[in-house]
Amino acid sequence: MRQASLGAFVLRTFLWLPVCFGAWYLASHYISAAAAAVASLFVHGFAPGIVSAIEHPGVELAFVTTIEVLGAPGRAAFLVPEVNPLAYTYGLALFAALMLATRSRWWQLLAGASLLMLFAGWGIAFDFLAHVGIKLGPAIAHEAGIVGWRRELIALGYQMGVLVLPGLAPIALWAVFNRAFIARATRRSRSGGLLDGHGGEERHGALDRR
Amino acid sequence: MNRRAGMLRFSALFAVILLALFAAELTPPVQAAVVMPWTEALVRLSAWLITLYDPHVAAAGKILQSTTNGFAVSVEAGCNGVEAAIILIAAMLAFPAPPRARVVGILAGLVAVQVLNVARVVSLFYIGQWSAVAFEWAHLYAWQALIMLDVLIVWLVWMRSLPAPQRA
Repeated sequence: MRQASLGAFVLRTFLWLPVCFGAWYLASHYISAAAAAVASLFVHGFAPGIVSAIEHPGVELAFVTTIEVLGAPGRAAFLVPEVNPLAYTYGLALFAALMLATRSRWWQLLAGASLLMLFAGWGIAFDFLAHVGIKLGPAIAHEAGIVGWRRELIALGYQMGVLVLPGLAPIALWAVFNRAFIARATRRSRSGGLLDGHGGEERHGALDRR
Repeated sequence: MNRRAGMLRFSALFAVILLALFAAELTPPVQAAVVMPWTEALVRLSAWLITLYDPHVAAAGKILQSTTNGFAVSVEAGCNGVEAAIILIAAMLAFPAPPRARVVGILAGLVAVQVLNVARVVSLFYIGQWSAVAFEWAHLYAWQALIMLDVLIVWLVWMRSLPAPQRA
């Protein structure tokens, strides 16, 4: 098995990163809509009935809830927390740059991007749930039916969704798809099987150290 | 150990260590004893570096503020490099390696992550004074990706430095 150059991989990633960020931003409206659909499933699974619609008027997603709040006299008003979906989908750009840098197969890129939507949906859903269940106070949380252990679970899910998953998920998925490249780049092709793998990375002639 | 078993072992160990360290990080005692002092030290270090060429900066707790225009950045969770360090530590502990290589790798990796993190804090301090839009981009998206890329590169370089594995 030929060695692969880590330096070339890093250089190619840095060259692809701005391109992928640009593409991600251009497509962000559609990506956010897809992530919102996944987030909706998480929210309905965790707190059924508290969201009647997710609107997407601009960059932010607006969660239209069934939770009543004080409005103008004689008029009903509902709580509508907003979440920035881009903070949870930027990993797509990182993932695409890594995959393109290792010349992975297109189906792997698409499959990985689809899986990343699950993590983005998780982050968006728990960001919304943290608004309703924690940040807006106990009265709102009580009205939403989010009390006790559910609040603790939301706190942990929110922290994971904000601090760890957006950055870790694209790296982990890239590593899963590129085990053979990692084995060659780190000279661990005889690592007892841990990194020996197959995938699109077998085609990386340009990255190989001649 | 075959390929599948090796991957499963690494993945399971990585997930367990990551969750344990992350849960520990969120507890009040660890926040008080480690995270907050670390964050404040990071802010003081950033302020000190800035004062080498720009005296118009002040550090207070986790806040870095311009004394010229009042603009300030607050270094919060996710911006102090602790989560990136936790991911790197979990990856190095989960991967089969000699104990000494793990210790050296973790120490060197923490330095690499935190050097880039200081660059993030200092750059955001100036980008924010220049443009709110650019600040949001750099803060929420670009620097997050770069820090994780740094973690990945450090991990790959560390694995490359390990002794060659023996064929079973």
